[in-house]
Amino acid sequence: MRKKLGIMALVLVALVGLSACGGSDEGFATNREINVISREDGSGTRGAFIELIGLQVTGTDGSVVDMTTSEAYIANGTSIVMGSVAANTYAIGYVSLGSLNDTVRAVPIDGILPSITTVQDGSYPLFRAFNIAVPFEVNDLTQDFIDFILSAEGQAVAEGRGYVPVDSQALAYAGAHGMTGRVVVLGSTSIAPVMERLKEAYEAINPGTTVEVQSAGSSAGINAARQGTADIGMASRDLSQAELAEVNSVTIAFDGVAVITHNDNPATTLSSEEVRQIFAGEVTRWSAVIQ
Amino acid sequence: MDIKKSNRKRHLDTLLTATTWTFAVLTLTALMFIVGHILINGVPHLTPSLFEMRWTTENVSMMPSILSTAMMVVITLCLVVPLGMFTSIYLVEYAKKGSRYVKVIRQATEILAGIPSIVYGLFGSLFFVNFMGLGLSLIAGALTLSIMVLPLVIRTTEEALKSVSDGFREGAFALGSGKLRVVFRIVLPSAVPGILAGVILATGRIVGETAALIFTAGTAPNIPQNLYGSVRTLAVHMWSLSGEAFHTNEAYATAVVLLLIVLIINTVAAAIAKALNSGRIK
Amino acid sequence: MVGGNTMNKIRKIREFVMAKVFMVCALISVLALTVIFLFLLVNGLPAIREIGLFNFLFGRIWTPVSHPPSFGILPMILGSVYITLGAIIVGVPIGIFTAIFLAYICPKKLYAMLKPAVNLLAGIPSVIYGFFGMVVVVPLVGRISVLLTGGGTGASIFAASLLLGIMILPTVINISESAIRAAPNSYYEGALALGSSPMRSIFFVIVPAAKSGILASIILGIGRAIGETMAVLMVAGNQARMPISVFRGARTLTANVAMEMGYAEVGSLHSNALIATGIVLFVFIFAINVLFTIVTRKHKGA
Repeated sequence: MRKKLGIMALVLVALVGLSACGGSDEGFATNREINVISREDGSGTRGAFIELIGLQVTGTDGSVVDMTTSEAYIANGTSIVMGSVAANTYAIGYVSLGSLNDTVRAVPIDGILPSITTVQDGSYPLFRAFNIAVPFEVNDLTQDFIDFILSAEGQAVAEGRGYVPVDSQALAYAGAHGMTGRVVVLGSTSIAPVMERLKEAYEAINPGTTVEVQSAGSSAGINAARQGTADIGMASRDLSQAELAEVNSVTIAFDGVAVITHNDNPATTLSSEEVRQIFAGEVTRWSAVIQ
Repeated sequence: MDIKKSNRKRHLDTLLTATTWTFAVLTLTALMFIVGHILINGVPHLTPSLFEMRWTTENVSMMPSILSTAMMVVITLCLVVPLGMFTSIYLVEYAKKGSRYVKVIRQATEILAGIPSIVYGLFGSLFFVNFMGLGLSLIAGALTLSIMVLPLVIRTTEEALKSVSDGFREGAFALGSGKLRVVFRIVLPSAVPGILAGVILATGRIVGETAALIFTAGTAPNIPQNLYGSVRTLAVHMWSLSGEAFHTNEAYATAVVLLLIVLIINTVAAAIAKALNSGRIK
Repeated sequence: MVGGNTMNKIRKIREFVMAKVFMVCALISVLALTVIFLFLLVNGLPAIREIGLFNFLFGRIWTPVSHPPSFGILPMILGSVYITLGAIIVGVPIGIFTAIFLAYICPKKLYAMLKPAVNLLAGIPSVIYGFFGMVVVVPLVGRISVLLTGGGTGASIFAASLLLGIMILPTVINISESAIRAAPNSYYEGALALGSSPMRSIFFVIVPAAKSGILASIILGIGRAIGETMAVLMVAGNQARMPISVFRGARTLTANVAMEMGYAEVGSLHSNALIATGIVLFVFIFAINVLFTIVTRKHKGA
């Protein structure tokens, strides 16, 4: 009996040990396969990325095809892409510039690092609009919150989070103070983080109000605004004609799309063509893009 | 020859014993490894800021989610316990043995029990959220979950009712009590521990559920103001955090609390089961 | 006298009404099932008709946002099947041996520890399994995968099978254990009396006697594995293409629904195709249920 318990303990120790000694790094081997990480079909970030980088191919017959390699690991959220890239030395992915942090490294595209300045002056090629879908008729509180988002204060919040303001000359927020009630904002997982900040800033000015922010995806957000289950929908893609027949679209900020790799990745820059080839699966080894 | 054969037999015996022990140890190891890993990485990060009443993007507090989970459990149980109890009263006390109704109902609950939670989520979002216009809300989530745990409640309550000795019923009937009186005064009270066990199992399911809730109750991180507000239960909160590269420590800490709750539920369920078994005369 | 009569009448009405209330409640589960099925059908069938049943079930390409889109779910069907198969390979032997251990071999003291452990394993929420899978299993499998195949992230069929194998353990163990315990003790004693060793008696007499119960536990395990969503989503890689290797990713039916539901425009073909995916999942579960009923009925007949 004692012997058996001993064996049991040994197995346990061995297993725990096995998991503990995980951190041994052997440096970056460029001949290794590139682990491509993409987002799910329908994601606003993916839509913008494939369009801007040239992965979306329009045929002469009007067909539109997404050329992203089917080998790509599909992560269902901005943060999951980042987490996966941070944990995988040979990975490459793309995320919203505003969500970027130092757990991963943004790769300069054609020599240009993504930043608010480079997006604003147009030198960084990958960016898209952050939109909100708003019903044609809105209540005062919802309108006031939208006014706040587009005011100098609101835009400063967005810029503070790493997004590019729509209008750098925006006027100061002159909202009717003393508002009460609740605004439900639902949609894109990319916009949700900045909306959370806007909510906190707005609630600080208007203590009687509650803004409820839910991330559920761009289409879910637009649909919720159409059906009235939410006051504002968040969409990180452009609205379709059918959608625009039922709701207004308002751009609240611009967002760069950063191509990210592991911090140990030595690639100093990638051309947009190289990025396209990597995500199309035409280039599969790091040695092809790193000299 | 014979010695060889018996040797081989002995080898087989040893092999079987060794395999059985190894696999049993493996099961225990798997659990200890998972729980240990979560505890070791999570307990040091259980900071007071994780238990603040208001969730913000900075503190990612789990307190609102803990309270939301409690609300979700209470509302779901309020919906499902009477329904499940009445169903099993019908099945055990009223329905004729072997009637077609009983067969259909039993088949239906069995299929309901097997439906994956994501299908419940899909249905809940189609029916409660969109068709009935409840939106992503506490009530839509609770309604979806109550259908999901209904089979569990029915099955355990049924077992509890069945285990009440017929002598009780006959005695009461002999004294001239009506059926309803017998059911509510005699049968149900003696079945309470069994029903309670079912309720606790249902609580465990509700606490651990994610897939069915994301599309029905949403992910709003703070406490809702009413039934129509969106909520994020602890399991959903855990899911949101686990995707965030910058909140891994908080995710571990949240996992610890979630595990702790599950452990408490399991212990209570085991205690009730034990009391039931020792109390019953076999 | 009159008062007693009305009392009696009221009582009778009450009895009658409550009997009906109980019945209505009992029928709600049937109603719920019907509504679930109807809602899935009404939303999903038009999509299947538009795509074509054959193209939907056997199409190898899933590109819902391309123009023209393609909605083939064969990759996801195979993904679910492979991952479930892997989970069975991992979980069933461990589960059955553990069940035998619990029923016949386990010392009482250890039983008091092991049994609650198995129940706790059943109680751990799938997000925690998923999280554990993401931070521990995937990197570990990634290392193995690089060693064996020279590449791969670790988010793979292998990782998902390993994790699901652990997740189905409690189902397999608990149901197998009670099946083994239900096998008549006299079989065991008879075998011992005939000179068989205890181990051989267990494996060649008791286990065959409990086989339909054990089979039922495996079927329920399969049901659990096919239906699992969050944990699989977090470790399987989710590529919507035909599975190519155990060390590469795959997408399951459940993951397909969970991932794209938030993005598909409501009422669009994409969203309805996802609901149709739900129907396929439903059919799988229904088939498993029928199989389970057949197996357990046989057992009762024997």
